[in-house]
Amino acid sequence: MLRTEEITLNMGPQHPSTHGVFHVVLKMDHEVITEARPICGYLHRGIEKLAEARTYTQFIPYTDRLDYLAAMLNNTGYVQAVEKLMEIEVPERAEYIRVICCELSRIASHLIAVGTYSVDIGGITGFMYCLRDRERIMDLFEMVCGSRLTLSYMRIGGVAEDLPDEFIPALCQFLDEMPSRLDEYDGLITGNEIFQARTKHVGLLDPGVAINYGISGPNLRASGVFWDLRKNRPYSVYDRFDFEVPLGKRGDCFDRFTCRIKEMRQSLKIIRQAVEQLPEGPVMAKVPKVLKPPAGDVYHEIEGAKGILGYYVVSDGSNKPYRIHVRRPSFINLGFLNELCKGWKIADVVAILGSLDIVLGEVDC
Amino acid sequence: MVENIFVGFAEWLRSLLAAAGLPALFGDIVLMIVKVAGILAFIAISVLWIVYMERKMAAYFQARIGPNRVGPRGLLQTAADMGKLISKEIIIPRAADKIVFLLMPVLIFVPSLLLFAVVPFGKNMIAVDLNVGVFYFFAVASVSTIIFWAGGWASANKYALIGAMRAVAQMISYEVPMVLAILGVIMIVGSMKMSDIINAQQNVWFIFTQPVAFIIYVIAATAETNRTPFDLLEGESEIIAGPFIEYGGMGFAMWFLAEYANLILVSVLATTLFLGGWLAPFGLTFIPSWVWFLLKIYFMIWVFMWFRWTYPRIRVDQLMNFGWKVLVPLSLANIFVTGIGMFIYRAIGW
Amino acid sequence: MFGQGLLKGLQITLQELFTKKVTVQYPEESLPLAPRFHGEFVLDVEQCIACSLCANACPNKVIEIETAKLDKKRVLTGYMMRLQYCLFCGLCVEACNKGAIRFSQKFEMAKYFRDQIPLILYKGEPPVQEEQGNTGITAGEAEGTEV
Repeated sequence: MLRTEEITLNMGPQHPSTHGVFHVVLKMDHEVITEARPICGYLHRGIEKLAEARTYTQFIPYTDRLDYLAAMLNNTGYVQAVEKLMEIEVPERAEYIRVICCELSRIASHLIAVGTYSVDIGGITGFMYCLRDRERIMDLFEMVCGSRLTLSYMRIGGVAEDLPDEFIPALCQFLDEMPSRLDEYDGLITGNEIFQARTKHVGLLDPGVAINYGISGPNLRASGVFWDLRKNRPYSVYDRFDFEVPLGKRGDCFDRFTCRIKEMRQSLKIIRQAVEQLPEGPVMAKVPKVLKPPAGDVYHEIEGAKGILGYYVVSDGSNKPYRIHVRRPSFINLGFLNELCKGWKIADVVAILGSLDIVLGEVDC
Repeated sequence: MVENIFVGFAEWLRSLLAAAGLPALFGDIVLMIVKVAGILAFIAISVLWIVYMERKMAAYFQARIGPNRVGPRGLLQTAADMGKLISKEIIIPRAADKIVFLLMPVLIFVPSLLLFAVVPFGKNMIAVDLNVGVFYFFAVASVSTIIFWAGGWASANKYALIGAMRAVAQMISYEVPMVLAILGVIMIVGSMKMSDIINAQQNVWFIFTQPVAFIIYVIAATAETNRTPFDLLEGESEIIAGPFIEYGGMGFAMWFLAEYANLILVSVLATTLFLGGWLAPFGLTFIPSWVWFLLKIYFMIWVFMWFRWTYPRIRVDQLMNFGWKVLVPLSLANIFVTGIGMFIYRAIGW
Repeated sequence: MFGQGLLKGLQITLQELFTKKVTVQYPEESLPLAPRFHGEFVLDVEQCIACSLCANACPNKVIEIETAKLDKKRVLTGYMMRLQYCLFCGLCVEACNKGAIRFSQKFEMAKYFRDQIPLILYKGEPPVQEEQGNTGITAGEAEGTEV
């Protein structure tokens, strides 16, 4: 093809489909990308540094603000890391409540991923349907912990409060209605030929390369790699549930998208089992009022909505963490963006970026 | 009586002027001015209404209720929006070509207005019933491509430039299947006069005799009006607003309104060519012809809205592939089949 | 393939066109709030023993408590929350042993001016001196003071 002069296009930080304040510098030969340089940091708030001036409990609300679309998962990852450090045994009921809330959070996050992906490809209606259904999860969270987005529900040693009485019926109703809604998304978005033409065989991610780049979560599984920490390295009570790990075949945008829809179905399955098995008992372990973990460090990772979410907590024995580092899946998944975008068109950059499902709160931390 | 309300008004006006002892030429001029004013009023009102309708429809398709605050059921929403846009400052980018930048939003309305001259609003209700009506329609409509392009170019913005280039590529390549598709209809009628085409559909609408042409026309028309799934020109998730990115206030409003004027026009053409224009179906002639015409164009507009709020956007290379490799051969085949059909029809000698 | 999915999509949106809409017309009607809803704070002054547990539990130092000593007992003279920094995490409510600080169902907290944002939950006069000429510890004088 005829080569023309390259143009440099700043995509972002003010751009409708970079999912926040993300900036990609595109070098293009007509509409074909020759280089896509991601620039992040526009939403940097220094959360890891803030942790050093706060007690272990006080850091919990800040984890909400990492991946604000799946706050429960962030909470859980952090409190489990501290619990691992302090060797706290969490009551069984609390573990089950955590699983229910985490999976709800995962569905909420995937709904946003699916919805915004529909907008990225150009169909706004799918986004509205997803948000409409996500609102019900928000209502459920409001029942449980009073907040809708930044939940701060998990506590070191358990959860803040027991489930309210009206929660389980509302949850069951949600579980009953959600599968038909997922079918609706499948009909409106996944089954659409235009959508498939836009996403199939676009942005292929080779499984070997994906592993080398540390890509995790649905993005990795879409490439056909069976790696779900809930299965491979079960934490909490995940080994008691029967669920499948949806895998993709080609590792293109379409697989990454459908993996999320399939994962939502699996999450619904997990929640249903957790509700059935939900034991009675306390929801909070006996923990001292002032938490002083022994000096040392711990790394704990869970399967977040976007990938492997890891917390590295260093304690010097005082009531404040010496250092906290978060392995943010969104950030690490972005590492391969340049290679993924090369040779594709501007519209595909949006499709690829959307399929990676980043949250800027997590990328910039 | 209602049927002839507009025609009757024109006759009355003409006779009034003649009675006043004015020459016939003067009467014609006055009548033409009245027609132009009427068409302008029609455009203004229907564009405002269609913007409102689009927002309401979008909302209803998306399980929302849409504008509902300004006026009863939000009816004055577009008027309020226009008021806001008019009162906004016109910002001209420093690198922009000022004259072209300011001229293009005004010029974009010219082709649309010109096209309304041949719109058959009802029986005997065409401002100018040209004998090459359809040809005139396409000839003038394709001028708007260059205005889109110039607007994007003058903005001196990379997104605008990409959008403008896409506009040229898309609008020119989709004009080909569009014209080829309606060629089948024109072959059957043997005339390019709007009224002839409508009268030829007395027995059966051309949507039934030319279904493939209708589908091709609808697809190409969606692309011509830059609506989803072919809204690459705007492509809000990739190139944000394409050629309109640097326009604010009334400049933007003009682009926006012209888009809806074009939407009316393609619906008008679809109605005229395929849906029988002002003709009443099932012998429901007690409803005036112009009401039928309006109902049909609003149905077409609604269909375009339905597409827009259902489909995602196609990619630029797929768009070109689809246009040249699918629609053009298909429309050529349609012409071929129509020709054979006509030949057989005549040979049988009905 | 070949337009089947396209028609399916049209069918779904057409169905939605006729289903009931989910919009709630907010100022006129509003959804019921959960009992645990994190709204504006209310302080039960009778219950408050000015222990400052809430202020210490806060991750963002939102709460400012003024106390005075009265008969060797600490009494509350001022309770102010700088809501602009508040995360609404509920750690203060959880820390309170007496149930004095609570969430209410009020969520319309938008203000027109920045200086109206701090929420003054209690502002009392320092108690009258009885034995010693000591008005005790006061952290700040008026509302709006930054520490």
